[in-house]
Amino acid sequence: MRIDIHAERCIGSGVCALIAPELFDQRDDDGVVVLLDPDPAPEQQENAYEAATRCPASVIEIHEEG
Amino acid sequence: MTSVMGNHAEELPSLPLPDEQRCPFAPPPEYERLRADHPVIRVTCPTGVRAWLVSRYADVREVLGDPRRFSNRPGTAAHILLGFSGAEPVGEGEFPRMDGGEHLRFRRHMAPEMSNMKRIGQLRPLVQAIVDQRLDAVAAVEPPVDFYAQFARPVTTAVIAELLGVPEGDRGLFQKAAEALFTGALTAAEVGEAMRPLFEYLYATVMTRRANPGEDVISRMIVRSDGTERPFTDAELVRMSAAMLLAGYDTTASMISHGLLALLEHPQELDRLRADPGLAATAAEELVRYLGVGGGLLREVTEDTEIAGQPVKVGDYVVVAIQSANRDSALHPDGDHLDVSRPAGAHLGFGHGPHQCVGQQLARLELTTVLATVARRIPSLRLAVPFDDIRFKVDTAVLGPVALPVTWDKVLPAAEGGA
Ligand code: HEM
Ligand code: HEM
Ligand code: SF4
Repeated sequence: MRIDIHAERCIGSGVCALIAPELFDQRDDDGVVVLLDPDPAPEQQENAYEAATRCPASVIEIHEEG
Repeated sequence: MTSVMGNHAEELPSLPLPDEQRCPFAPPPEYERLRADHPVIRVTCPTGVRAWLVSRYADVREVLGDPRRFSNRPGTAAHILLGFSGAEPVGEGEFPRMDGGEHLRFRRHMAPEMSNMKRIGQLRPLVQAIVDQRLDAVAAVEPPVDFYAQFARPVTTAVIAELLGVPEGDRGLFQKAAEALFTGALTAAEVGEAMRPLFEYLYATVMTRRANPGEDVISRMIVRSDGTERPFTDAELVRMSAAMLLAGYDTTASMISHGLLALLEHPQELDRLRADPGLAATAAEELVRYLGVGGGLLREVTEDTEIAGQPVKVGDYVVVAIQSANRDSALHPDGDHLDVSRPAGAHLGFGHGPHQCVGQQLARLELTTVLATVARRIPSLRLAVPFDDIRFKVDTAVLGPVALPVTWDKVLPAAEGGA
């Protein structure tokens, strides 16, 4: 799995950091997502999918093979 | 009300709205058939505005998630607000009605205050202290007590006012403005009247904090703005502050009282929460899904397109039914069931797309803290009147009981309750 971020659309909702704090952080000055781990360990992959589904601004893209 | 199934040539069905005669926790029952047979249907809204009503989960999510085709320009609630047409000019800093980069500029300025998860973590002790203090105050009163007026509203008011640094003595001002706004039956001129004292107050506040910044959200927004490429004007700072104050307190207070009532009426679920207050976070999320926002959210079509195969034209209005979408079996096969341990899932109770609720993380924190603390400290909480005597708000998207008279045997102290 590989995670890609389209940060230009991010509204800083914090939804990804709520679901998967090991994978996503937020910048202090504008709340925009910071990808901590583009290549999540197997036990984090379900959280990655959930974050991608629940992100309100379609920022998080997941590639099966990476 | 005209039946939504009515099919007269000149008479359109009405937008289904909450109604006291029906289940106070469920969306209007018409929605089940609309989702099955008429997922996109032309309706008349209370203001007389005509709109496409969208009721299925996938379609609601598609509309909210595509701001390029579906604009926020008319305003979230302009189909419900008498005296609004959706065509009013956008005020300086009125970001809920902006799209694209213009809108993003505001969201990224508010996000560090309201939806950065590290910030939310820091706010946890403040919210816990406010909830405990309010329960102590309520415990000193002989029950029955109206939990909406005496607990839910004071808590959410204190949280947002603490954050923005509005002193206790000045809080009546924004409560009054919010009450006027969220009752629906107002003309545009009356809304202006209701908002003016608040805008004047906040304008003066921005002036003082510019000169003498503190640690509050308004000061922090001023200071951070000064470092940006395009600093925010006073009017824009006033609008952001007003939006947080107004949108932040009755929505959450109503969710607290409506949610507690729903739990009191689902005693098995309440017992599960009492047995394990660790379920408070999923319970909070579930209540937002289950109770949702009535009346729907309004959008305007920006180019000729289709929703679920139904052609819609540029300039048409669209109302997305959040409550209906959240009960769609496409989201959860048992969506009409309240389950305090349900995994959060991609419900639309805070909206979706770039306008998704600014205050959602704060609302989650408040709801979770309230549910865990009330479950621990007042295990004997119960209604003080028969359920049938509870009246519900009907003329607003912010649903919930008009009052929530409750009683108890004992309120446990904060320490003893472990809260
Ligand atoms: C349980 C409580 C709450 C619920 C159910 C709720 C629901 C919503 C929904 C559905 C929207 C989307 C409107 C749209 O797409 O047109 C929204 C937007 C908004 N909410 Fe909330 N909200 C809650 C609490 C709060 C709090 C605590 C705050 C502020 C501190 C807040 C501030 C806002 C603002 C400013 C917007 C407009 C965002 C924009 O247009 O970009 N809300 N809310
Ligand atoms: C989910 C539901 C709703 C959300 C999230 C929401 C959010 C907001 C926000 C953020 C503002 C501040 C806008 C600004 O001044 O820049 C606002 C203003 C207002 N809201 Fe709502 N609102 C909701 C539902 C409603 C409903 C149901 C009503 C009335 C029935 C209503 C009436 C108003 C009015 C009259 C204003 C003032 C508009 C103006 O500034 O001219 N809202 N709302
Ligand atoms: S969930 Fe999406 S919009 Fe929200 S902070 Fe994460 S990436 Fe940004």
